[in-house]
Amino acid sequence: MIVTLQIHRYVDEKKWIQEYKIEITKGLTILSALHEIKAKQDPSLSFTSSCRSSICGACAVRVNDHSELACEVLLDTLVKRYKTDVLVVEPLGNFRVIRDLIVDWDPKYEKMKKIEPSLHPKAEFTVQTGCKQSIEDFDKYKKYAGCILCGSCVSECNKSALNEKDFLDPFIFVKAAKLVEDSRDKDHKQHLKDVIEAGLWKCFNCQECTASCPKDLDPAGAIEKLKEATFKLEMASSVGSNHAKAIYDDIYNTGLLDESKLSVQSEGFISAAFRVPIAYRLMKTGKLDLFEKAPVNKDISKIRSIIDIAAKEDK
Amino acid sequence: MKYAFFPGCVLKGAAAEAHTSMMKVSEALGIELVEIPDWTCCGASHAQGVSELSMLAINARNISIAEHMGLPIMTVCNTCTLQLKQAKAKLDEDENLRAQVNEILEKSGHPYPYQGTAEVTHFLWVLDAHPEVFAGKIKNKLTNVKVAGFYGCHLIRPQKVLNYEDGRNPESLEKLIKLLGATPVDFDYRLKCCGFHAFFTAEHDVLTVTGKIADNAAQAGAQMIVTPCPLCQMQLDMYSPEGREATKSSVEVPILHLQQLVGFALGFSKEEMGIGRHVTAADKVTI
Repeated sequence: MIVTLQIHRYVDEKKWIQEYKIEITKGLTILSALHEIKAKQDPSLSFTSSCRSSICGACAVRVNDHSELACEVLLDTLVKRYKTDVLVVEPLGNFRVIRDLIVDWDPKYEKMKKIEPSLHPKAEFTVQTGCKQSIEDFDKYKKYAGCILCGSCVSECNKSALNEKDFLDPFIFVKAAKLVEDSRDKDHKQHLKDVIEAGLWKCFNCQECTASCPKDLDPAGAIEKLKEATFKLEMASSVGSNHAKAIYDDIYNTGLLDESKLSVQSEGFISAAFRVPIAYRLMKTGKLDLFEKAPVNKDISKIRSIIDIAAKEDK
Repeated sequence: MKYAFFPGCVLKGAAAEAHTSMMKVSEALGIELVEIPDWTCCGASHAQGVSELSMLAINARNISIAEHMGLPIMTVCNTCTLQLKQAKAKLDEDENLRAQVNEILEKSGHPYPYQGTAEVTHFLWVLDAHPEVFAGKIKNKLTNVKVAGFYGCHLIRPQKVLNYEDGRNPESLEKLIKLLGATPVDFDYRLKCCGFHAFFTAEHDVLTVTGKIADNAAQAGAQMIVTPCPLCQMQLDMYSPEGREATKSSVEVPILHLQQLVGFALGFSKEEMGIGRHVTAADKVTI
C-alpha cells in the first residue's frame, strides 16, 4: 500500500507542506519512513533521531495532531487508526521550530531550571557513609526516572497551547514529582514552592500528557501527586488548592458537591463578588439556587469514617 | 438491559436537565436504571489531589454498592467515568492496595468489600455497543441537522484506563449522530479540552478555548454541538458569552447533552428535554 506523508517543512523562514509517497512494508515505522525519504527522495528533509529503539527520545513528531515516538510507531498502525492513506506529519507542538521536524529544546531546559531539577541530599549522607534508600522509598519515584525527554507530553498539552508563560511542561512536573517523592532529598518544600509558583494548579487535567507518554510515566498522575504533597506539607493556600479542598470537604460534610458555595470557597468573598453577572445568568435559567441546601447522605458517618481513616494512613 | 446508575453531582444541580432527559430517554429505550443508593461524589479529580487514598476508598465504596446490587455501573459524566474506572484499575491491579482499601471500608462500618465484579460504562458506549435499542423507536429522524460531536477529555484519555475505543480517533459519537438521522460535522477542536477543571486557576485560557471550540464547530458548518459530558456542556453553554468575547466571535451555538439529542430523535419535545434551562442559543435548537 502506498501512503502519502504530508510533511510540514520549514527552512530559512519559509513554510510549506511537501508530499512524499512511500510504500508500507512490514515493520515500517514513521522514523524508518523519514530515513527512506531522506535517503531516496529528498536529502533536504531534516529530523532528529539516534537510537531507533525508544530510549533516546530524539525522534518524537506529530502525526495527525497527536505526538508519536517515531521509531516506535508503525505507519500501518496509523493508517488503520485514522482510516486514511494520507498522514500529516508535523514537528512537536508547543516548541519553537528550528527546521522542518527539528525543535528547539533550549527554552524547555531553561524552564526546567525553575524547579531546581537536582537532588539536594540530606545532611546525614556523606561521601564516606554513602546514601541508602529502602526499596519501598525507591519505588515511590523510580517510574519518573524513566523519562526520556522525548517531548511527546509537551506537544499535546492543552494548557501550554493556550499560554505557556505561566505554566510548566508536563515532563518538568514529572521531574519535580521525582524529587518531591524522593526520601533522600531535604528540600521537598522548596521544590514544591517552585512548582506552585510556576503554575501547578493551572493544569487542565486533560490527560493528553498521560495519553502521549511512550514510557507510561503518567505525567497527569505526577501533577496529582504534587498537589497532594502541597496538602501533606501544609503548603496549600491558593485558589486551586482551595477549590480541591472545597470538593473534598463537601464529600466529608454531605457526600455531594455544593455548587452554590464553590466560588466563595475557592476564591474568597471578594473575588466571588465579581461572579455576580454569571450567577445572575444561571439563576435566571434555574441552574443556580443559592438557597438550596445539599442533602446529607444517609451513610455520612461511615463516609466520614472512611475519609478519616484513609487520611491518617495517607500521611 | 439494567444498570446501577451513577448520576454524578452536577446532574443533581446545575445540569439537572441532563438528569430529567436521561430518565425519559432511558425509559423510552427500555434501559432500566437503578440509582446507586447513597452514592457520593466521585471526587471530580480535584479531591484526588487532596488525598488520593481517601478518594480511592470513597470510590471503592461507590463501586461496591453496585457490586452488591449485582449490576454494572452506567455513568453519564466523563469525569465520573474516569475517576471510577481509574479507581477500579488501581484496585484490580494491586492486591495490597485493594486489601488496604477494604480494611478501611470494614473499619468504617461499610457492610461489604470491593470485589472488582462490576464493570463501569458510559451511556454513549452502551448506545454504541447496542444500537438495537433504537429499533422502531426513532420517531423524529434528525434529517438535515448538522451536529458536531465534542467528546470531552475524560471519556477518551488515557487509553489504558478508558479503553472503549481509540482515543486518538474515536467514532462512537459520529456513528450515533448518523444513526439518529443527523449529519456529523468534523471539526479541529472535537478532541480538545473545554478547560472546565481549570476555570478558577486559568480563567482567561479556559474562556479562550471555550470560545474557540464553539466558533470552530460553527465554522465547520455545525448547527449544534453535542457532548456526552455535562461538565463540558456547562462550560460551553454557561460561559458562552465570555467565550465569545475572549475570541471576538459572534456565533452562538446550542450545546446539547447527549441524552437530549437522543431524546429529540425519539420524539421528545424541547420542553421535555429541558432546553429551557440552557443559557446559550436555546432558540437555535432545530429538531
